[in-house]
Amino acid sequence: MNLAAVMDQVGDRANTITGLRVFRYPPPQLTPPGAWVDYPDKIEFDKAYSRGADRMILPFAVVVGKVSDRTARNRLGLYCDGAGPKSVKQVLESGVYTAFHELTVLDIEFDPITVAANVYMGAVFTLDIFGKGSS
Amino acid sequence: MTFVHGKNTFISLNGVNLSTFVDTSDLDLDSDEHDVTTYGKNSHVVQGGLLGGKATMGGTYDNTAGTGPRAVIKPLRGTVVTLIRRPEGTGAGKPQDSVAVLVKNYKETNPVADMVKWTCEMTLSDDVTSTTQ
Repeated sequence: MNLAAVMDQVGDRANTITGLRVFRYPPPQLTPPGAWVDYPDKIEFDKAYSRGADRMILPFAVVVGKVSDRTARNRLGLYCDGAGPKSVKQVLESGVYTAFHELTVLDIEFDPITVAANVYMGAVFTLDIFGKGSS
Repeated sequence: MTFVHGKNTFISLNGVNLSTFVDTSDLDLDSDEHDVTTYGKNSHVVQGGLLGGKATMGGTYDNTAGTGPRAVIKPLRGTVVTLIRRPEGTGAGKPQDSVAVLVKNYKETNPVADMVKWTCEMTLSDDVTSTTQ
């Protein structure tokens, strides 16, 4: 799996969510609601013999607005839904990718996230990505 | 002498290289044991018998048509085919074991929170031919 290709394809797929502006890398600044594919927490090599498979744990961050804003909470709820047109899990897991074989959204962690000195309410999705070790 | 990592292991069944779908394999070589203890002995006396053994392998399920583990192994249940295993990988001077095996079992396991996995159990049939590649 090529890191840049994986991040690009995940970003492309997430960008199909209406109203969500998605970056394929951590952006220097953004206007919420926005999201980005972050660098992986780790890449695990050699999940099969002969470079057959690798695994990547990739964060995907969504920010929606001020922490104390009710609209931000309601908006974030749609992205965190298990299903629906704005559900990050549903949209990402239903994608067709060539840079890897399988994507599963494992969990979500909620935290205020600082972007360009602005603090937004955010959710970080953990993506479990499995693909070929050598292409 | 050096320690050898398992990641380069080569394994094929019935002429199909399955290495890139496999993350674990065993070649278990044993022999029958006959007790030939007689009166007057204070300990068991044993003698070796016929050689035998079993092999197993498993990994992450892959639906590649024709060469994936399901496509290759499932139709082989109940048949005797050739298993080739290279414990140090492929390369001149490295060891290779080749043996006929009865494909006894092909199993798929689907955990809700992880990739689909598969395993295969085989019984060795006849001698193991150990050569240097």
